Amino acid sequence: MQKGRQSPNRNRGLMTSLGLHSAAIIAFQLSLMQLISIVQWHHFAYMVTSIAMLGFGASGTLLSLARDKILAHSRWLIPLSMAFSGLLMMIVFPISRGKIMEFDVFLLFSGGGGWLNLLLNYLLFFMPFFTGSLAIGIIFIQNTQHIGTYYFSNLLGSALGGMLGLGLLSWIFPSKVPLWIGMLSWFSGIILTGSTIRKLGISAGLAGMIMIAMLDPIQPRLSQYKSLEKTLHLPEAKVTLRRPSLYGLVEVVHSPAQRYAPAVSLAYDKEISGGYALFMNGDYYGPILPSDSRGEDHILNYTTQMLPYLMGKKKKVLCINAGTGSTVSHALQNGASQIDAVIENRMVIRMMMDDLLEASGGLFRAAGVNIHATQARNFLARKDIPDYDLIVLPLLESFGGTSGLNALREEYSYTLEAFAEMLRHLKPDGMLAVSTWEDYPPRTSLKIPATLAAAALAAGFERPSDHMAAIRSWGTTTFILKKSTVTGEEAENIRAFCQRMFFDPLLLPNLNREERQQFNFLEDPQYFEHLDLLAEGNTNALKNYGFAIEPSTDDQPYFSQFLRLKSMKHMTEVFGRGQMPFLELGYLSLLVTLIQSTILAIILIVLPLFVLKRTSTGKASTLIYFGCLGMGYMFAEIILIQRFVLYLGEPVFAVSAVISSMMLFSGLGSLSSKKLQRGTRMIRKLGLLVTLLLLVSALALTPLLRLTLSQGMPVKVLISLVVTGTPSYFMGMLFPMGIRHLGKQQEGQVAWAWGINGCLSVISTSLATLIAVEKGFQAVILLAALAYLFAGTAFSFNSSIFPKKSVP
Amino acid sequence: MLRRKMLIPFLLTMLITVSFQQSQDPYAEKRKQMVEDQIRGRGVHHRGILEAMERVARHRFVPSAQRPFAYHDRPLPIGFGQTISQPYIVGYMTQIIDPRPHYKVLEIGTGSGYQAAILAELAAQVYTIEIIPELGHSAEHLLNELYNNVIVKVGDGYYGWEEHAPFDAIVVTAASGTIPPPLVEQLKEGGKMVIPVGSPYMTQQLMLVEKKKQGYTTRSLIPVRFVPFRRSE
Repeated sequence: MQKGRQSPNRNRGLMTSLGLHSAAIIAFQLSLMQLISIVQWHHFAYMVTSIAMLGFGASGTLLSLARDKILAHSRWLIPLSMAFSGLLMMIVFPISRGKIMEFDVFLLFSGGGGWLNLLLNYLLFFMPFFTGSLAIGIIFIQNTQHIGTYYFSNLLGSALGGMLGLGLLSWIFPSKVPLWIGMLSWFSGIILTGSTIRKLGISAGLAGMIMIAMLDPIQPRLSQYKSLEKTLHLPEAKVTLRRPSLYGLVEVVHSPAQRYAPAVSLAYDKEISGGYALFMNGDYYGPILPSDSRGEDHILNYTTQMLPYLMGKKKKVLCINAGTGSTVSHALQNGASQIDAVIENRMVIRMMMDDLLEASGGLFRAAGVNIHATQARNFLARKDIPDYDLIVLPLLESFGGTSGLNALREEYSYTLEAFAEMLRHLKPDGMLAVSTWEDYPPRTSLKIPATLAAAALAAGFERPSDHMAAIRSWGTTTFILKKSTVTGEEAENIRAFCQRMFFDPLLLPNLNREERQQFNFLEDPQYFEHLDLLAEGNTNALKNYGFAIEPSTDDQPYFSQFLRLKSMKHMTEVFGRGQMPFLELGYLSLLVTLIQSTILAIILIVLPLFVLKRTSTGKASTLIYFGCLGMGYMFAEIILIQRFVLYLGEPVFAVSAVISSMMLFSGLGSLSSKKLQRGTRMIRKLGLLVTLLLLVSALALTPLLRLTLSQGMPVKVLISLVVTGTPSYFMGMLFPMGIRHLGKQQEGQVAWAWGINGCLSVISTSLATLIAVEKGFQAVILLAALAYLFAGTAFSFNSSIFPKKSVP
Repeated sequence: MLRRKMLIPFLLTMLITVSFQQSQDPYAEKRKQMVEDQIRGRGVHHRGILEAMERVARHRFVPSAQRPFAYHDRPLPIGFGQTISQPYIVGYMTQIIDPRPHYKVLEIGTGSGYQAAILAELAAQVYTIEIIPELGHSAEHLLNELYNNVIVKVGDGYYGWEEHAPFDAIVVTAASGTIPPPLVEQLKEGGKMVIPVGSPYMTQQLMLVEKKKQGYTTRSLIPVRFVPFRRSE
């Protein structure tokens, strides 16, 4: 079949098939991320899928290298690639957990080997994406003059695939999700085949579906280092409840040896009973404290978290990120009459109010306890909430540290703006309490006071240290920032408590140096020097410290990111090269992801140059145009996701809403690009328009979102659609217009262009995160605008590709 | 001539003895090197500990696949998400509790049994508890073969071992954010408890708990191999 000569029926079939297949690929990507996060770590899931997604770039490379041969067999190659991709989707994950391929990412970084298996895993996960995108690439190359329609189908399918993936993950067990998604890809290929094969394929598919429906969900084998796996080795440990959800796989484990008593005082001499705990994707989420733990001997009364309750009665308490409710239970036991608990995860709320109601002693339905299913910042933006005696955040970090695993997580509850907002919602004598596990080298335990002091200064407090108090046990530290100054009586209460519990006061008015180390001694006392400087709001102390302990902001909400690129050499000297991964694993894995995907992308982009004819001119323009489109689109997408996570208040919903609306509007843009005048002038105009829109977003988006944060969900969804949809509509026009022009002028470069776009999209996801961490979201959105500016003017590099005259 | 005749059998005997010893323990040289470079070289000077670490065949306490790395300067996986600590950490932890020949020591988290073996070389009696049955039974088998002053129990270390309390020292190799009250109770007055804090692959800090007449004190210790964390220049 020659290009442009398909029958209308075939065209419709191809479009439907392309849409279904695109949906399957995106849904598979989501399910793979989820499955790898469950069995290993989410950073590793990100590493693996970024390499796997290079399958898009690789398909472009293959199509460039063997364009004519592939197109000659496209009639059977398209359905075969789709169906084969579907089969691969179904089997790659189980194979990866088999004896031969299995490996543990934890052992990789600890010198335990497994690099060969890592490569095999990369290759394995790459295959379904490669074969799947090969089919898409063939369709695009074959239909360059109708690319707008096919690209629309591809984007619409991807948008629906995102929603389908999330829907499946919330309804069925993750291990079964790729099986259903694979079937979708199988059918998308089968419907394009001849009648005999089609009949056989459909029958086989239906039989497969029956088998999948009958199959019991298989629990994938977890890494031995996942906290759930370790917990299951405890005596009599058993999973009592397992639920798939939008937020991840939720599991509840019971063991009499599973105890919750975070750095409890050495003075505590009662029995600490074991019980239930909740795990999310195999990671520890929180304890479920039974009702008998709410007596006078509440375990948290014997920890540093008791600090705010030593400073007067707390009637109205706001528990931020309350999780499974340990801070709620603590406030209840200390006499609070109104407790507002803010929790993002609706599945946890549902389980605590239903399945775990008895195990938790009815905590979430207790009198005076109000549960709010939203993000903290959204709750704080509400106008109908009262002022509180106490706002309490949950215990940060974990015993022994998190190895920097949370470095790339946006934590909007710990930014300077968040603390300022919390201060505004305190009564005149109210206070904000933040606790953390101690870490070495000190990072979180310095960043908290630095942020509190900065928030105090911003609120107009003259001397932040007069408003702060902190106590330290052998394992945790609790800080409070009080709206009024800390009184002498409060200080004496705190001192007496410390004596009883073998704790030490850390920050108090008129504190003697010796008081800080009566019971708990530090061999490296520099911590105290830094703390004193920070508590006074001394910003020089922040700059000179080896780790990044400056307060995080809404523009750089990475509270747990402490690594400075410039001090990495110093850190390596201090701690040794082998230790660095375990100090800041999250950030380093991002760097590894970026480096490896960049190297592979360069290879994939350069390879076709060896076969592209020398007469093929304007390769630089093609590279710049499609590279910038790939990069600009991903940068814009990532930034909009970040902005709307805070705005819409529910991360999972925000991510799916932004991605789906961007793809939908881009698809509509692609569809309407058919009617636009062809030629470089239009491309230039569109490039400039998108640049302008992104610049306006850079300037106006934050104030607009802040202004409307307290609006109801319908208004916010409408604003989100307008803000994401408008630039996406025009962004969606540029790819098909470029392909059409290239198809006319340099047909041999179309496949290469498709590959470039795919490769740059993959690199850009990790690059955007790196730039956001280092320079903030504003820098990323400006770079996105710059990328579209370059794309719009790329023709200037070689007018032979994009002739200045309009093409009729 | 007579001297030469006597010298030849002597040299032969020496050669045979050395090669016999090497065939008996092909890791002896590596172990010696480990003690010199990783333990003594980093500031552990307790003579008894150095000798004990040179005597105890660490390679017998690691899974067979890990044997080539047994004397490497790093922790090794032993299955079930557990590790055998880096040799230096074992030496440093042992030095902190300063074991004496009459000591009764409790270990929580037997793991492979290596730490218990080192303690058994230095103390009168070692009690060790492992919560994971597979690890506990395997360590028990090996330790019983090598020592008669180590008793292994499979169970929850939270409760300690009341019938043998009080202990001169307690080594908690499997801490989880709680120091169980029964362990604190079972420590002798003046006794020491040591707990590593941090990722098993990056043990940076050790916490020493001391039971005194007037209460308890804790001390966060930075292993000698790490210089105190300072501001970057």
